[in-house]
Amino acid sequence: MTEAPAPEFVIREYLREHLMPHFLCPGCGHGIALRALLWAVHELGITKDRLAIVSGIGCSGRIGAYVDANTFHVTHGRPLAFATGLKLARPDLEVVVITGDGDCLAIGGNHLIHACRRNLNITCMMLNNEVYGMTGGQVSPTTSNSRYTTTTPLGNFEPTFDACALAEGAGAGFVGREITLQTPALKNLLREGLAYPGFAFIEVISDCTEIYGRKNDLGNSAEMVLSQKAAARPDVYTNSVDRPFRPNQLRTGVLARKDRPEYAAARQRHLQSLGNVE
Amino acid sequence: MSTEPATTTQNLEGNEACALGAIAGGCRFYAGYPITPSSEIAERMASELPGVGGVFIQMEDEIASMAAILGASMGGLKVMTATSGPGFSLKQENLGLAVATEIPCVIIDVMRGGPSTGLPTRPAQGDYMQARWGTHGDHAIIVLTPASVAEIYAQTIRAFNLAEAFRTPVVILYEETIGHLRETVDLPAPETIEIIDRQWAAPDDRNFLPYRPGTDGIPAMPRPGDGHRTHMTGLTHGEDGFPTQKPEAIAAANRHLSHKLEPHLDRIEQFEIVAGEDAEVIVVACGLVARAAKRAVAKARAKGIRAGLFRPITLWPFPTLPLQALLQPAGAVIVAEMNAGQLIAEVERHAGDHCRVVGLNRIDGEAITPSQILQQIEELAND
Amino acid sequence: MTTGTPKEVITAAALTAPSARAQERPTNVLIVGVGGQGVIMISKVIALLCERQDLDVKQSEVHGMSKRGGSVFSHLRFGQRVYSPTIPIGEADVLVALEWAEGLRWLPFLNPETGTFLADTQQLIPPFSCRSRKPGAVTNYARHTVAEVAGKVPNCFATDASRMAAELGNARAANTILLGMLSTALDFPEQEWLTVIEQLVPKKTIGANLRAFAAGRTWVEQHDPAAMHAEAPAVFPAAADLGDYVARSAPEINAAWCKGCEICVKFCPERCLFMNDRQVAELKDPDLCTRCRVCERLCPDFAITLHRLDA
Repeated sequence: MTEAPAPEFVIREYLREHLMPHFLCPGCGHGIALRALLWAVHELGITKDRLAIVSGIGCSGRIGAYVDANTFHVTHGRPLAFATGLKLARPDLEVVVITGDGDCLAIGGNHLIHACRRNLNITCMMLNNEVYGMTGGQVSPTTSNSRYTTTTPLGNFEPTFDACALAEGAGAGFVGREITLQTPALKNLLREGLAYPGFAFIEVISDCTEIYGRKNDLGNSAEMVLSQKAAARPDVYTNSVDRPFRPNQLRTGVLARKDRPEYAAARQRHLQSLGNVE
Repeated sequence: MSTEPATTTQNLEGNEACALGAIAGGCRFYAGYPITPSSEIAERMASELPGVGGVFIQMEDEIASMAAILGASMGGLKVMTATSGPGFSLKQENLGLAVATEIPCVIIDVMRGGPSTGLPTRPAQGDYMQARWGTHGDHAIIVLTPASVAEIYAQTIRAFNLAEAFRTPVVILYEETIGHLRETVDLPAPETIEIIDRQWAAPDDRNFLPYRPGTDGIPAMPRPGDGHRTHMTGLTHGEDGFPTQKPEAIAAANRHLSHKLEPHLDRIEQFEIVAGEDAEVIVVACGLVARAAKRAVAKARAKGIRAGLFRPITLWPFPTLPLQALLQPAGAVIVAEMNAGQLIAEVERHAGDHCRVVGLNRIDGEAITPSQILQQIEELAND
Repeated sequence: MTTGTPKEVITAAALTAPSARAQERPTNVLIVGVGGQGVIMISKVIALLCERQDLDVKQSEVHGMSKRGGSVFSHLRFGQRVYSPTIPIGEADVLVALEWAEGLRWLPFLNPETGTFLADTQQLIPPFSCRSRKPGAVTNYARHTVAEVAGKVPNCFATDASRMAAELGNARAANTILLGMLSTALDFPEQEWLTVIEQLVPKKTIGANLRAFAAGRTWVEQHDPAAMHAEAPAVFPAAADLGDYVARSAPEINAAWCKGCEICVKFCPERCLFMNDRQVAELKDPDLCTRCRVCERLCPDFAITLHRLDA
């Protein structure tokens, strides 16, 4: 007996088509990331009614609205806190947070580390394009060294956050990173994160072509994603060499996967052990 | 009625009564952050909620607490958070989101001296205007000011009913002193408590729009999973829930947010009038100060002075018409408040030219006493 | 003047006359297939048989680089005396092909007058024989049918041995079926074959292999070659099925959603997209499209759709 093949992924079935075309600039990697997310959702058989997308402010925050699901566009930096309440109230929902490097690491940094610590079953997709795109291209916590932004007119000298290392250090059960060019790999990573029973943090290396790319002469979106690919070093390679073989390495793939108690399950077990709930 | 409903008598602190009122009012999700003098509310909620199948969580900060209760409310639970002035300021950002997206929620602000860290263990009434206008943009909001432990219990229940009925944040303000005041309270039997639940969108309503006002002007709420798959955004949105740039749609949305409570003032407004019928001098005071004012009015009456008290229990929307009716025959009004003068401006704009409005303020961390108010009444009565 | 005495003198006459060596010409068996089919196993069986008969045997094989479907062949020569380990072109007495195209590839080695061609008609299509990446696209796989081949070789026995083996319960025993067929072409007692097979195969599979051997042997003995060719399976799918292929598979570009970032044009491996004068991606040559879906997956605007083939 062979099972009937799963229906093919057709992104239009997951979009609010009346809102399309979306508002993103030409070549923005966020669209590719959204496709990968919905593709993973499709493969896992998560229904649109059960899918809840919570997003913050910025370019990343706006893309949730295009998904035909339960979508919540909340305040700047707060989607993880909002999602925490939503997931605790409705464990039956598959809660996905879409956030950006500024939303998640700057204004929302406190919420990120505590979401990692708690390990509530939420999937957080952070789109890292190294810049505040929506507000016109200001420096962000992930802007690379010496890059020009509207608030670093002489080039950026501040150190950057390694978001994945931060999440892992804060205790996230599942941490991964992928570039948009590797769409199937990104889909698989998101799929694994969605299926992970706990807090999954996934950083997507996205490209802001129109603002950041233009200001720094990084080329069109094809050139930007190719340079990301050149910098990416899939984590499967790490065992083959003792030292990084590229100076500008960007570890990709599943970077951490720990067997930690999921928040709601741990809470339930704890209360049961006290005879506090049936 | 031949049978009195069963009540239970308890000696409770104000903050405890607030927590018990929340549980009785149906609160099943609480997110908070420790801050004096409100922490006992969180502590009591932490021990009460698991027993009723609810969820308590102490979040990483005040902002997260506010965001978390909004998430839980959109998930379908009745929600609450509690704080004090500085924490209330941090919540204002997401309170704005609650206003704009019409999320039912209850926020307790146990007022302490300010500004800033100020006087954490002393009472004040400095957040009257923060509660009304603390968040950004035009909006309506409900603010309740209970004056006793029993009233905290009752008003907390009512706060949930109002929040759910009108899809609005409801703020309860009371002073540190009442929060930490112990009084003997008769708690009503649970079956006698009126509980109002929010109006859910019918799962089979294919034409449902998440922000189309219902017959009472209040939009029904979509329950995630019921098939509506709606969008919620802090951006100004049309009836379909999606952001809009159309001037007429923006105006309609903002008009709705500013005026949606007005048709329901009879259900929202609550106030207490003491000896108001023939009063020449009216004291307007809330909460702790109103307790002193009540005593001052009684003393004045004993001295033959026609004094009265108007105590808004619903501070916002301000019960304008009842106060105006009361001030018609009165010649003077004293606005007693433990701040430099916040409520007085609201009273002044409703008092009319014939009525003299005098402020009685105290900003030294001490409560206004009955004798202070009596003295002011006597001065005005003799003028 | 030459001095000394040569140890051996080969006269000119001896060079041209039928020699003793020629009379004891070795038997040449060429076994071909792809990695994993059991070419070497067949060679080993024959080599062991020869040893047991006190015959000289030489075997030369290419394998090891061929685990995943690459060519494997084994030259096997036996007789009273064998010198060269490889079979010259046109001198294989038997060509055993475990895979159809591999068999065709080695046909020039078969003796054009007396050779016997034993083949499994199963096709293992290697990736590189399919230069077009379209699903179901016509491959470069050999196109000759069994009947065509049968007309060109002296003796042809071709059947779907893999299916026979599968029906017997173990698809991997197809090589033993070929071995059974081969046993009819070589002059060894049947019992010897059985003994050697028992000796060589894993204990658990002895029964299955003996059944497969018997099936192969019986198949050759009972079948009339002419009838056999007629019932052999058609080797190639009918190309007519793919007639409307392009029309159904070409990507649909939603011009209203395309913002002209050009990422699809830049990454299309077949170069079948271009930016038109309105800066919207357009299909230049639908015929080149292989449905690799790179454009669909990389389009940030969701403007490209490859429709379901079953729709």
